[in-house]
Amino acid sequence: MKILVALKRVADPDNANKVKIPASGEKIDTTGLEWKPNPFDEYALEAALRLTENGTQPKVRAGEVVVVTFGPKETETTLRAALATGADRAIRVDASDDKLDGDLVARALKALVEKEKPDVVLMGKQAVDGDSNQVGQILAELLDWPMATFAATIREEAGALLVGREVDGGVSTLRVKLPAVVTVDLRIVAPTSVYSTKTPSTHKYNDGVRFAALPAIMAAKKKPLVEVKLADLAPDQALKVSYHGFAAPPARKAGIKVKDVSELVSKLKNEAKVL
Amino acid sequence: MPPLIEQSFTKALFHGVIAEDMIFPYPEMTSEERQSTSIILDSVRRFFAANVDSAKIDREQEIPKEVMDGLRSLGLFGLQIPTEYGGIGLSTAAYVRVMQEIGGMDASIAVTLGAHQSIGYKSLLLFGTPEQKRRYLPKLATGESVAAFALTEPSAGSDAAAIKTRAEVVDGGAAYVLNGSKIWITNGGFADVFTVFARTSALEEGSKPKITAFIVERGMGVTSGPNEHKLGIRGSSTTEIFLENVRVPRENVVGDVGKGFKVAMEVLNSGRLGLASGCVGVCKTLLRLAIARVEERRAFGRNIGDFGLIKDKIARMLAETYALESMTYLTAGLVDSKIADYSLESAICKVKGSETLWSVVNETLQIAAGIGYMQEYPYERILRDSRVNLIFEGTNEILRCFIALSGMAAPGKALAEVAKAMREPIKGFGLLSDFALRKARAALGRERMTRVHPLLGREAVIFEEYVSELAVQAENVLRKHGRDIAEMQFTQLRIADMVMDLFAVAACLTRTTRAIERRGEDGARREIDLCSLYLNMAHKRLRQNVSDFARNDDELRKAIAGRAYIDGAYPFDVL
Ligand SMILES: Cc1cc2nc3c(=O)[nH]c(=O)nc-3n(C[C@H](O)[C@H](O)[C@H](O)COP(=O)(O)OP(=O)(O)OC[C@H]3O[C@@H](n4cnc5c(N)ncnc54)[C@H](O)[C@@H]3O)c2cc1C
Repeated sequence: MKILVALKRVADPDNANKVKIPASGEKIDTTGLEWKPNPFDEYALEAALRLTENGTQPKVRAGEVVVVTFGPKETETTLRAALATGADRAIRVDASDDKLDGDLVARALKALVEKEKPDVVLMGKQAVDGDSNQVGQILAELLDWPMATFAATIREEAGALLVGREVDGGVSTLRVKLPAVVTVDLRIVAPTSVYSTKTPSTHKYNDGVRFAALPAIMAAKKKPLVEVKLADLAPDQALKVSYHGFAAPPARKAGIKVKDVSELVSKLKNEAKVL
Repeated sequence: MPPLIEQSFTKALFHGVIAEDMIFPYPEMTSEERQSTSIILDSVRRFFAANVDSAKIDREQEIPKEVMDGLRSLGLFGLQIPTEYGGIGLSTAAYVRVMQEIGGMDASIAVTLGAHQSIGYKSLLLFGTPEQKRRYLPKLATGESVAAFALTEPSAGSDAAAIKTRAEVVDGGAAYVLNGSKIWITNGGFADVFTVFARTSALEEGSKPKITAFIVERGMGVTSGPNEHKLGIRGSSTTEIFLENVRVPRENVVGDVGKGFKVAMEVLNSGRLGLASGCVGVCKTLLRLAIARVEERRAFGRNIGDFGLIKDKIARMLAETYALESMTYLTAGLVDSKIADYSLESAICKVKGSETLWSVVNETLQIAAGIGYMQEYPYERILRDSRVNLIFEGTNEILRCFIALSGMAAPGKALAEVAKAMREPIKGFGLLSDFALRKARAALGRERMTRVHPLLGREAVIFEEYVSELAVQAENVLRKHGRDIAEMQFTQLRIADMVMDLFAVAACLTRTTRAIERRGEDGARREIDLCSLYLNMAHKRLRQNVSDFARNDDELRKAIAGRAYIDGAYPFDVL
């Protein structure tokens, strides 16, 4: 199986207080930010690796995982890290973060998919910076491929994927024929969430995503990483989403202490007016 | 003489020479190396977050087997071993950056890994023959075998040349038989390969010792005592080891026969940088804890971070950590650029590293106050873990003497040579030594720091002033005491403290210059301010040291200590 995984780097969500917005409110000031791969994209990569191996012998790769990101040169760190954990090839679409929106990324990915011809495109359900939750859906529409979003489990079948999605009050299971676009949720990295046809159903993965050992990190320096121009994938670079302004969330006001439940109820009723 | 100066930035300072081309621009990793190092750090952090419980390691005085196995499979045992021998092949800068991260997360693990590769098998990397490397490095790289460095003995700690362990030639030179014991050997309980230092000549008081370094396998007959119970780094194994008629083949001599002391010193020179970077890591961890605490703890209706005395602590901790980090990575860069002599720089990093950490951990615990003292919180453990850094890999006292004497050796020789040329006895040549000094300076033609960014002009001028002050003081004390300088420890202390501050300031200046050049004044605001504050703090100490050369109470202190030795205790009671 050949899988294309789209990765995005985001400002480290644990250091969100470092995100600065200049007084003009025009854009986010990214200087001095620490970057991390979007967690949901890392889960997508982990799912892709699980689908291209026998889980009992993860060192033997069975299939191909290609990772792609959009961004400036520095985003190659994200790609190298993915190569170190097991991806086979990487593509960086040279672009500037503030000149992209979900639509443009999806259109460029469509062109890339037509060239790479993967069986599956796996992506995170959303990026934790913009929280747009669009690219997977737009891409499936543009490709006219079956789609499953927010996957919590994936089981490979001949020519299809059985995808479990957690919905209110239960699990909805979809069988998507390949090729398909699948976006993943957090649960996908649980020990029994993903099975390729080669992995025995008794196998349990470690919880969470795998990380690279040092020899693999050094070896990944030699894996292919190519740069592609955005214009070659998407000649029309007009954006559909325009941002009108940014503002930091208001600082949290100090709380108050209440004596007892009745005071709490009265305050909720009379001051906060939520009851 | 000029070559000597050109080999070491710090030694040149003793001549009043600022060899700025050695430290400008501030060294940095290639972008490829930065990238792979950041991926390595990410893996290391994830592994520690998921698997390492430092409180438990401290409590149970052991690193669990699964954690050790995890460290092995990550590849952390062979960081600097070349890839051809199965290691990761990191540069010094990348290696110390990884050790910094580990030090900041768990001291017991950092010491265990450091004893293995910063000193345990370092002798093989530095002096091993290709055959020895082929034989030992592949297993050491994967951690299948673990190394230890065995120098210290019951009667030979700081005075390492006094070791008694004997190595006697047998079988017509085909092998040696080792007898003796070593104490406080890190990894002693489970190491498979020991770098053992033994005497290959009879022990004679005062005569030059002949010491030889050997690679000794546990299987050759090394046994170890139980783990010592320690103040800190309790998860690391520290034991006595015994060598009883251990037969070691001749091929296992590392370096030349009789040159083992040099092997030990070179290993320690390079090992000290790993220790210093571990201290950087702990300081950064402590700053995170301290800053979180001052923002959350309230007193008198305010966050304690609002109080001036707390701000003062935070600011000083930041400035000291900045200076320490700057000099550690400057030195790492010097090592990677293959300069011949970084012995003073790495000794300075070790002393400053351990003392900065001790002050940062002390202040952080003070900020945390009551909770700082409780075992429920990490502060007291980090304090206990930090203390050993002032002691091992050369006590800070020994290293101060080393820094001062080794730095003054070249000017001392220059003075003596001029004296000889003029057929004057060493004490008699007064003014002529100025000539020697001027000659040295003229030969290199530089005593200003010209490459520093103009925004740091004030700082650079103070640095230049005190560099020439150091040279003047060094010359004065050499002229006054000649060879007796070796006995003048109060003077050595002043010289050492001056040169340590100067190296730290130089490191801050070059690093901050790079930051300004990259990001402009506003972008480098933090660095500029830390550099200024550190300079102010160092300036006070430098001024004090200079004035102490002229007027001090050294003799008074010696007299008081002398009398106390006779009294045998504090001599008073108010009763
Ligand atoms: C946890 C731990 C792990 C260790 N691991 C190892 C290891 O793996 N391998 C190894 O070989 N050793 C190891 N050591 C030993 C360590 O290197 C020695 O403890 C250290 O060198 C000091 O020796 P000492 O303790 O005998 O002190 P001493 O030499 O007895 O010194 C006592 C005091 O006198 C001072 N002093 C001594 N000489 C002078 C002088 N000339 N001028 C001024 N002051 C002086 C010292 O600074 C110190 O304050 C370890 C020690 C500890 C605590």
